[in-house]
Formats: sequence, structure tokens, C-alpha cells
Amino acid sequence: MAIEDDVLVIGGGIAGLSSAIAAAETGARTRLITHKQSTLGNASGLVDVLGYAPDDDTPRADPYDAIAQLPAEHPYSKVGADAVREGLALFDDAVGDRYRGSHSAANALVPTHAGSVKPTARYPRSTAPGLVSDDRDMLLVGIDSVTGFDAPMAADHLSAVGVPFDVRGETVRFPKSFPQDADVTRYARALDRDESVDDGTVREVLADRVEAVLEDERRVGFPAMLGDSRHEAVRTELQDRLGVDVFEVPTGPPSLPGLRLEDALYDAAEDAGVRITSGNPIVDFDADGGRVQQVLMDRLGSEVAYEAQQYVLATGGPVGGGIESDRDVVEESIFGLPVEHPEDRYEWFDDDVWGDHAYTEFGVSVDDDLRPVAGEEVQFENLRAAGNVIGGYDFATEKSGCGVSLATGYVAGSEAGELT
Amino acid sequence: MSEPSTIVIGGGATGVGIARDLAMRGVDVTLLEKGNLTHGTSGRMHGMLHSGGRYAVTDQHSAEDCMTENRILRDIASHCVEMTGGLFVQMPEDDDEYFQQKLEGCRECGIPVEVLSAEEVLEMEPYLSEDLERAIQVPDGAIDPFRLCVANAVSAENHGARIETHSEVTDLLVEDGEVVGVEVEHKSGAGSRVHGAAGETEEIYADHVVNAAGAWAGEIGAMADLDVEVIPAKGVMTIMNVRQVDMVINRCKPRGNADIIVPHETTAILGTTDEEVEDPEDFPEEKSEVDFLIEEMSKMAPILEDARTLRSYWGVRPLYEPPGTGTEETEQITRNYFVLDHDDRDDTPGLTTVVGGKFVTYRKMAEDCADHVCGRLGVDAECRTADEPLPGSEDGAILSDAMDRYGLRSPLARRNKQRLGSRYDDVLSGGDPNPVVCDCEGVTRAEIQDAIESAGTDLNSVRQQTRASMGTCQGGTCAHRLAAELHPEYDEEAARAALEELYQERWKGQRHALWGEQLDQATLNHALHASTMNRDRDPTDVSVDFESFDAGRAVADGGDSDGN
Amino acid sequence: MSKQAESETFDPVDLFPDATDMDLRPGVDKCDKNGNCETVCPVAEVNEDFPGPKFQGPEQWRLTRKGDIEFDESVDKCLNCMRCDTACTNDVPLGQMHNVARANYVKNQKNHASREYLRNKMLANYGTLGKLGSMMPRISNAVFGLGATRWLNEKLLGFPSERSFPDFATQTFRGWWSDRGGDATSAERAREAREARGETGVDKKIAFFHGCYANYHQTEVAKSMVRLYESLGYEIVVPEQSCCGTPMFANGMLDDARGVAEENVDTFGSLVEDGYDLVATCTSCSMALRKEYPELFDIDGVEEVASHMFDAVEYLRVNEDLEAELAGADVDFPAMTYHAPCHGEVMGVEGIVTELFADVDGVELDDTGDVCCGLAGTYGWKDEKYDDSMEIGAEMFEAFEEAPGEVALTECPMCSAQIEHGTGYEVRHPMELLETALVES
Repeated sequence: MAIEDDVLVIGGGIAGLSSAIAAAETGARTRLITHKQSTLGNASGLVDVLGYAPDDDTPRADPYDAIAQLPAEHPYSKVGADAVREGLALFDDAVGDRYRGSHSAANALVPTHAGSVKPTARYPRSTAPGLVSDDRDMLLVGIDSVTGFDAPMAADHLSAVGVPFDVRGETVRFPKSFPQDADVTRYARALDRDESVDDGTVREVLADRVEAVLEDERRVGFPAMLGDSRHEAVRTELQDRLGVDVFEVPTGPPSLPGLRLEDALYDAAEDAGVRITSGNPIVDFDADGGRVQQVLMDRLGSEVAYEAQQYVLATGGPVGGGIESDRDVVEESIFGLPVEHPEDRYEWFDDDVWGDHAYTEFGVSVDDDLRPVAGEEVQFENLRAAGNVIGGYDFATEKSGCGVSLATGYVAGSEAGELT
Repeated sequence: MSEPSTIVIGGGATGVGIARDLAMRGVDVTLLEKGNLTHGTSGRMHGMLHSGGRYAVTDQHSAEDCMTENRILRDIASHCVEMTGGLFVQMPEDDDEYFQQKLEGCRECGIPVEVLSAEEVLEMEPYLSEDLERAIQVPDGAIDPFRLCVANAVSAENHGARIETHSEVTDLLVEDGEVVGVEVEHKSGAGSRVHGAAGETEEIYADHVVNAAGAWAGEIGAMADLDVEVIPAKGVMTIMNVRQVDMVINRCKPRGNADIIVPHETTAILGTTDEEVEDPEDFPEEKSEVDFLIEEMSKMAPILEDARTLRSYWGVRPLYEPPGTGTEETEQITRNYFVLDHDDRDDTPGLTTVVGGKFVTYRKMAEDCADHVCGRLGVDAECRTADEPLPGSEDGAILSDAMDRYGLRSPLARRNKQRLGSRYDDVLSGGDPNPVVCDCEGVTRAEIQDAIESAGTDLNSVRQQTRASMGTCQGGTCAHRLAAELHPEYDEEAARAALEELYQERWKGQRHALWGEQLDQATLNHALHASTMNRDRDPTDVSVDFESFDAGRAVADGGDSDGN
Repeated sequence: MSKQAESETFDPVDLFPDATDMDLRPGVDKCDKNGNCETVCPVAEVNEDFPGPKFQGPEQWRLTRKGDIEFDESVDKCLNCMRCDTACTNDVPLGQMHNVARANYVKNQKNHASREYLRNKMLANYGTLGKLGSMMPRISNAVFGLGATRWLNEKLLGFPSERSFPDFATQTFRGWWSDRGGDATSAERAREAREARGETGVDKKIAFFHGCYANYHQTEVAKSMVRLYESLGYEIVVPEQSCCGTPMFANGMLDDARGVAEENVDTFGSLVEDGYDLVATCTSCSMALRKEYPELFDIDGVEEVASHMFDAVEYLRVNEDLEAELAGADVDFPAMTYHAPCHGEVMGVEGIVTELFADVDGVELDDTGDVCCGLAGTYGWKDEKYDDSMEIGAEMFEAFEEAPGEVALTECPMCSAQIEHGTGYEVRHPMELLETALVES
């Protein structure tokens, strides 16, 4: 016997969560099915809308005026700039005070852990004091046993970018020593729990060590490892002890800001009444007359049916598992939807690592209602796609990570909900 | 009288082997390499330490040399060698008669052999095809060409040699029909590589010049109007993410294409093909070659069909045969080597070229060449390279498990010991803190710093010495950490340029593995590098109007900077 | 975004004829090194010597060669919660890698004459201990409750004196079942229920895997399950059975586990052939049969058993219209706080209970969120791991304190032991809640 809902969203990343929230807000009974943890832990936690226009390496302050320059197959062109604003509004409601950026329509420039800067539309509260258009002098602090963030090098790189303030980097020793292979989460937890060490607690001693190298700078940036579950308390305490603003520089996976974002969105989905099922993958489906009838979940060897009137596919790109490939073919992984790709595998990439690659844009093609198509033909009238499972854009190069997911998630979810 | 001087051109196994040999005999040596050590063929081999079994039917002279050198390398280069053992596997379609020939050939060449039944083979190597008939076990092994070449170079330096990498010979200096030296272009000045440092040209004179440029030997010869007919033949190799086999697996059939799997460090390397090319630097690298290799090898080890590959690369064998031999297929050309005295051959004294041969016999090649050069120079000294261990392999490098692990967990400590050999204590004792920089291969900061000491900002050389960035993620998560280890000794700009070069090099091989899991990995790496770090559109070269961007609520509203 | 099932899965190969020596290196191919597994590991959170699942799983396996028999000793600190398996976005078989690495470590490196090994052997073979204890439940309870016994247990065997041994029920579940008339009367009751429900001609039959805990200790849970299932028309059989093996996996004693797995697969495999589905009330038992057996043992019929093994709540959710059944219910039950066991999460059964009762009158149900209890089967029963166990559990204890519920609700008997120990809450099982809602009301 199938488990029934009005709208079924497959995928638990930012696109799936925003689709589910949008659908639930229309009053539809909505279920979100996710296999495993989302790939938000790979992401920086920043919400980029559009940082660059095509073929222009100057970062854009206005994300919307560049949207008009995008090609017709870009998902933003399908949904339109207003949908982007709606998607951001949904996001702002969902995360509330945890994020900043909604006061301005302009992009912000955030320092990256490589020492570059990146245009983004929404940033975690813990990142806010680090914006580079703020001209206060900056000290970056690295930890000598954490290899992902080299503060002196990042500071020199920021200077090379020409930021409008003085920036210095210092490296300090963490108050507690860990084995050689400790992950950033270990440091975060020591700060969360404010563990005792010889001369006090972890937070106290860390603040002392930073104070010793702090000069006239008015703000101090750390790699994004200032606590996990109690990160605001950690940051506030360091701020109080140092008497200057403290911020986090987003880092790579596993990324605490990304995981915090995942938590925030799950809370919002639950508050919106979304029913969440996790742990097993959707592997198959039944269709009839151009409609998806039900999808099948594999629970370790046997299948369970889930049924709804409308479906949203938000399973992500190659990293999330929504798109799969072998030596000859690229396709969508549940419905076998076609993915446009050059026939010759050696045209999937450019020879330059930063070149114009085809593989970074792999995903399904959709119509203006985000329904997957083969050629012009809609595949299932009650199936919509959202997020990185859609092709035709490279979120990393154009800096639209999360933005496309929110806009398409909003459109797919609310349209699906309204049709039930 | 000052000691006689030589220049060795080429930093592959042969070149560094000759440099070491000559230096140990008291000859003044300058070695010049246009890239980093192993830039050419040596860095692009399959990592197999031949027993000679492969040549035991068709080329018994090479086979005997292989077996002799195999034994010597186990002694003098123990930290570069893993004695995995090897198998010649007979599949149902392979000829019984050839199997017998192989067995007898091995015996004739003094290669210890044992015939194993299919059950015995599958017990040892469970991922091989259940269809296999039987196998011959031989003492093949794996060897790390990077570590071996670096150890030779270090030994040469310890005996007074000057080693210059990233130094390209642009001309041979010829006076009165005699080669008297070279003109060399140092890419970033003499000494170790530093990105961004100015280059310089130098003329170096010597009593004798040795051309050990491998596939490029013809180009060097041409600088003195000499014909050295090297036939470059390309071969593809594909690296698997894990070791599906722990022994060298050869297909027992007449020497051909796609018939070896070598367990190398954490990976398995599939090899190879053999096809003549025009230019050793510029030849097509084709999808069909990779697909052919995987499909062929899957017949012997079916798991390879769907297993993850990390990258593919092509090596160019510098084959040589004396003029007039007329062999048609490159795989039939002898793997023997030749020392060409250009005085005898071309009436051009002062230059000796060494060509052909194989990696495993590099030491013997170097010995013969050094004998010859010493004869020319009138130096009377014995070769000692077969007896004296290379740096890192002293005391057999078999270190007790009970030794201090410097806080490393057991597989990390084990791997570090295997890589560093007897240098383990020296390298690791200084690191505090000593975090793991490359998770995939378990490389710590101390080992990276040790490699930087000799490699300068050449992160590709650091990579080759330590294996950092050579694992599952192909540098996705650690390339920038490696670059950070250069700073502050080298400035940010140099470190950034070095990182850019490493990214490009890692991509060069990885793009040949762009499907399935490695395509997923490349997508993740791209997101990290381009999205999280903004490496691809790093605005260092453009002018940014910072004021037009959001400066935060504090600046906008005059509230406190945290926006509270 | 969910990672969908890969079409090609690797087949781990036995390196040697021995059950524990499996070659899991090819499983590393799926890992993309994102480190998400590290962020959910409860041991890594409290014990800085534990490197976390990325190292213990794919990294350690990739660095291992056939001749290397030494595994890092830290694998002994893994508590087998499988949260890394749940978190991994790439389907890396982390639980399997931990199980095999731990078994190799225990077999080749651990001192088999040590007190710790003997204690672990006892814990691993809890089924035998339970059987003995339950023969004379009152005496056993009295003896285990004595301070002197606890002191001796700690000193001699390494059990933490802080913990009290769970009470034995005065009658085992099997005793009750047999007194009640066994399989035959169950078929009769179920037939009557089906007739009353208008489900004649329908075949509804299940085999019950009660495991050790529901048989010796929480017999009320098993009895509720029986009454509930029979009222919905299910004929129940309760075959002779062995321990599921969970404590053996957790202690790296795979040879022992293989023994019980063979017996259970034999018994329950033939029942599957006869058309029975398999149901357990303990999520660790169901996970063992469903996930660990096929991952670790190449036994005839193991896949069939695995694919027919269900958690008791999940089975009804899939096969009955529980929402309709519960629609008119008005339940008299104290306000509850639900704790989802880690082993339930890895099977994907988390969330069913809270979802089902969200709109039922008379039910107040909160959730502790995604936290590990820290007891994890036998882990918290070791004096050297007691502190870690309680530190891991601290977050869950706090969640109970903060939630309005008066009693705790969970499927896992070990979680419930930890909840009782750490919070003093009375703990109920969803079967009891469902019985109240559907049978009693």
C-alpha cells in the first residue's frame, strides 16, 4: 500500500527543502524524501545569486542586472528575476536572524579561505563583520595545526586583490592539542564545550593568544570553526574578550556554516509542516499516461511505494547523485531523464582546469514550468525539477550556488502545491 | 690538477644514475634537467620492477639484466621498492605452448619461477577472473621512480655533484669539432625552482658531455649536427583509485598491448600500449586508448570494468636500434641500451649519448656509460653504485614497528616509513605540530617541508616525492594546503603561481578519467575551487569598485558592525 | 540532495577463507573525501584519540595492503552506531568497513587473555548470559542488584559500577507465548480479527524476531506487539532463534556473529520461503538481519532474509493504512518525548512514529532531535568507556529535560536503558503506544 501525499519532493538539499517549504505553504500535504545527509556540508554556507555576468571577470555588485544577460537555457531565464526575489524571500523567512544581506539588493564581497573575495547575496551572521567593502583594518588568524586556512598567506592575497583596508595574518597555536589528523569539527567542539585547559578554558586562552598578536585592527577573522551547536556563544565571547568584531571565513568541506544552514532549513521545513522521510533512496517509479503514478523507495532489498499528485525532483547534480555517468552516457538517475552532453567524452572537458567545461553544466533540460523535457517534449506533466539536477548553468563559475536552487525550488514547489 | 668535469643532460633515471656513478668516482658532475627530475619517461612509467620474465622469451639478454638489477635495487633502494611478486596469468584463450616457452625462458635466464593452479592464484588475488587457467609466479615488484631518481640525485649531490632542474640545454658548445660544453637556460635562475624569480642563461664548459636526454636525445644530438635516431613510442597507463591486486599481474601471451597491472603504492596502474609518435612532447592522447586498456584488462580482472580510475598518462619510450636493423613494430624493438661514442661514430669528440634500455636497468646503463666516460677522461675508478645503498635505504630501511610513531596512526606511520626509509626519524622528528596535509595518502607537514627544501616552489616535485595530492581527490582538498606550506618562505605570489601549476598538472591527467565517480569528484573539486574559494575568477587582475558592494548593515544603517 | 543507489555495487571478496578477512578496498571508490561523516560521529565528539569515520573507514582501508595485518587500535573505540553510514552522501559502506576493521583488530592485535577481552566476550554473547539469568529471574535480579556484585563486576570484569543491570522479567516472553497457546492460537485470533475487519481471503502472517531484550527484559513490548498485530489480523509465529549478533559485531567478534547469523538465516529463511515477513521490535536486531548480515556474511538465503526484515512500526506503516486506523483514535497516554535510535535512522524508520501521531487526539509527542544516546549496545557497559558514553548521552539527556514530555518513547532497548540511567524517565515503546491507540481505545 503506497504512502500518500499531495506533493512529494525527492532530495533534501537546498532545492528540495525550498521546494518543500514552498509547496507546504500553499497548503498542500508535502513530503520530502532524502536518502542521506545533503551536500550542504560541502558548501560554504553563502547564498550566491549571481556574481558574474557571462564572459566578464569583474564581479558584479548588482546580481539582477546580470540575469538579463544570461542565455535562454539558463534556469534563471526560465523562471525570471522575480522568481529569484521570491526564492530569496522564502529563504529570508526560513532562516530569520541567522543570515544577513537582505537589507541590500547589492551583492556583498566576502573573503574566501584562499584569500580571494567572492560576490554573494546572503551570508551567515558570523561572516558579516568580514565584508571587504567595510574599510576597517582586518586581522586574520589561523591555527598552526589546521592546514586548510593559512592566515598570513590569505592576508597577502587579499592585499593583492586590492581591498580598501590593511590586512594582516597571524598564526597561533590552539589552546588544546589534537592528534595529527583531527578535523575542524574537533576544534569546533572544544570551543562549543569550552573545555578546560592548563591556563583556563579553550575560549579564554584562544582569546589571550589572539590578543597578544592583535594590533590596531578592529576586526578578527578565523577559519569557520568557531563552534558548532553553540557557535554564536563562542563568537560572542571571543568578541567580548577581544573588544573587536569577530567573524568566520567560510572554508571547504566539511563546512560548519553549510551544516548550520542545513539545520536551519530543516527546522523551517518542519515548522512549515513538511513530512520528512530519510535513510533510503528512491530508485524507480511507475508512470501512466504521461504522469508519474508513484515512486519506489529501496529499503535494503525490498521496495516501498510513495504516491502523490505532484512531484519535485531535487536530487542534485553529479555530487548529490541526481546525475550519473559512465564512459559513454550521462543521465538523470531516477527517471532516466536525458542529459544533454557531447557524444565524445573528450568534449566533456576543456584542457585548461579553469576552462569552459561541458561537465560542469550537466543536468536535465526543463520547460518554463521546470518540467523536464527531452527535446521539446515534456516527460511527465506532474514532475518538476529544481536545483542542480537542472543543467545549463555552472553555479561555481558564475557564483550562483544556492541562488538557482532557491529560485527553482520556490517555483517548482509553489506550482506543484497550487496544482493539488 | 682539478678533477675532470662532466655535464650530464637529462634528469631521468639514466641521467641521475650516471651523475651518481661519476660523482662517486670522483668526477665533477653537473646535471641539467629541463623540467623536474623524472620529467620525461622515468616519471611516466608503470612503476614495475621487472624480474625479466616479460622478456624471457624474446629478449633474453634484457631479461637477465633485469633479474640482476632487480636483486641489486632491492638492496640499494629498498625504500623505493615493494616486492609484491608477480604472476604471468594464462587465460583460456592463451596458448599452452607460449606458457611453456615462458616458463623455460625464465629458467634459462635464472629467474625463479613457480607454476600455480587457478585455485592458488585466486586465493592470492581474489579479484582476478575465475576463468583463468593457471599462472607462473615470478619475483616482479613495484618501484617508485620519483623516489629512486631523487635518491640518486641526492647521493650525487652528497658526492659533490651540482644538480640543476628547470634548466634547459639550449645549445651544445662546439669548438674545433669538439663538444666542450653547453648553453643552458635556468627558468628561475640557478638553484631550486622559485616561481616568479627571473631566469638566466649560463654557459657551462666541461671535459665531457653525456647526452642522457632519453626521448629528447635526438634533439640534443642535433645541436651538434649529429644524428641520433631515437624512435619515440607512446604508451598509455591508467591509475586506479585502489589496489585491486597486490601482485604484479602480467598476461601470459606474446608481448603486446594492455597486459600489465602493477600495484603501486595505494593504487593499481594498468598498462600499456606501444605506438610510434613523431614528437615526444606533442602527440594525441586519445579516449580510445584509455577505453581499450580498461576493456582489455577487465578480461583478466573483471572488477576493473566499473572501478574508479583517477587519471591516465602517457609515457614516451626512447627506443633505439642501430641503423639498418629495420624492425617494423615498435613493441618488437629491443629494450637493450646503447652507449654511442660520437668520437668513434661521428668524429665529434667530447660527447657520449646513451639511449634505449629500460628503467629497471638504469643503474647498469649508468655504469657502462660511466665506465666509458671515465675511459675517455683517463679516470681510473671502480663503480660502487651496486654496493652502496641510496640515501633513505641505509640499514636496509627495515625499521622496527616498535619505533616511535611520532603520534601517527599505524597505517600513516607505516606509509611514512615506507616512503622515507631510513630518513624517517630525521624528517618526522622536527614537526610540531605536524598535521596531516594530504588525507588520501597520509602525508604530514614535516614530509612536505622536507620535500620543499630541495624542490623550492616546484609543487609537482613535492608531490612526486611525497605522494601528496596523488590520491582519491587528486588534490581537490589538499592542493591549496600544499601551496600554503610554501608561505612565508616564498611570497604569496610565488605560492599562488606554484599552486596554479599544480592545479593544471592534476587536471591534465584527471580529465582522462572524467566519468562516474571521478566526474563526481571533479565536480566537487570544481565547486570547492571555483565557488568556495573563487580561484577561477580571482579578482587580483581586475579593478573592483568595492564601494558599490554591500558593506554590511553596520555601514548601511550606522548600527553596530555585527548587525545586532 | 539525495545520493541515489549506484547501479554497480562492488562485491567484497574474501581475501582468505576466514570470515573476517574481507577486502573492502574497492568500497573506497565511492568516497569523495567530503568529510561529512566526521561531523556526525559521537565518539569523535568526545574522545580526541578517535580519528573519526573517514579515517577509520575509507582512508585506513585505502592505505592498507594485503600483507598489512595491523589496523589502528582506535577502531576499538567505534561504538557501531552507524551514524556515519547515515550521513555519507556517497554510499561508502562505512559501517561495514568499521565492522571488518574492528574484527581484524580484535582477532590479530587484542590480547585474548585480557580482562577486557573476556568481559567483551561475555557482553558479545549476552544471549547466553540472559538465558542463564532468566532461569531464576528473582535471584538474578537480587544478585546483580547487590553493591558487592557491582563492585566485583567492576574490579573483576570491567563493568561500570555506576550502571545497574537490567531486571529480568519474572517470565520470559517465550514462556508467556507458549502459555498463551503459541503459534496455533495466534493463527486463530488473527483469523477472527481478519473476519471482523472484512479481510477474508487475505494472507497476513509474520515471524517475530524478539531478540534477547524483548524476551528476557522488556517482555511487555513483545506482548504489545503480539496483541496489536493479531488485532490487525496477522498470524504470528515465534520460532526458536539466536541472538541477532549486534553485540558481537560491536565487539569485533565476527566469528561468533557468523555462527548466530547462520542459525537465524536458516530458521527465518525457510519462513520467508513459506510466505512470512519478518518483524522485530528492536531496531538493532532488525538492522543486524537487514544490513549487517548481507554486508558481512556470504550465507545462502541471507539476502532474502534481509529484504523481508522489518521494524515493527515500519511494517505496519507500509502494509496498513495506519493513518485511517488512527483517524478516530483518542488516546489516553502521558505526554511523551521520542528518541530515534541511530540504528533506526540508518534503516530509514526514523520519523514514522512522530509523523503518525502528529494529529492524534490525546497524544503529545516531542522529539529529542538527531542525537546518539551513547550506550550503543555494549559500549556503555565497559568501565573504560563509561565516561565517554555518558558524555555522548549528555545532549540527549538535556533534550529530555527541556522537552515537555513525562515519559520517553523509543524503539531501542539500549537507548531506553541509557535514558532511564541518565534521566530517570520511564521509557515506553511505540508498540505500546500503538496498542493503546488501536487495541485498547
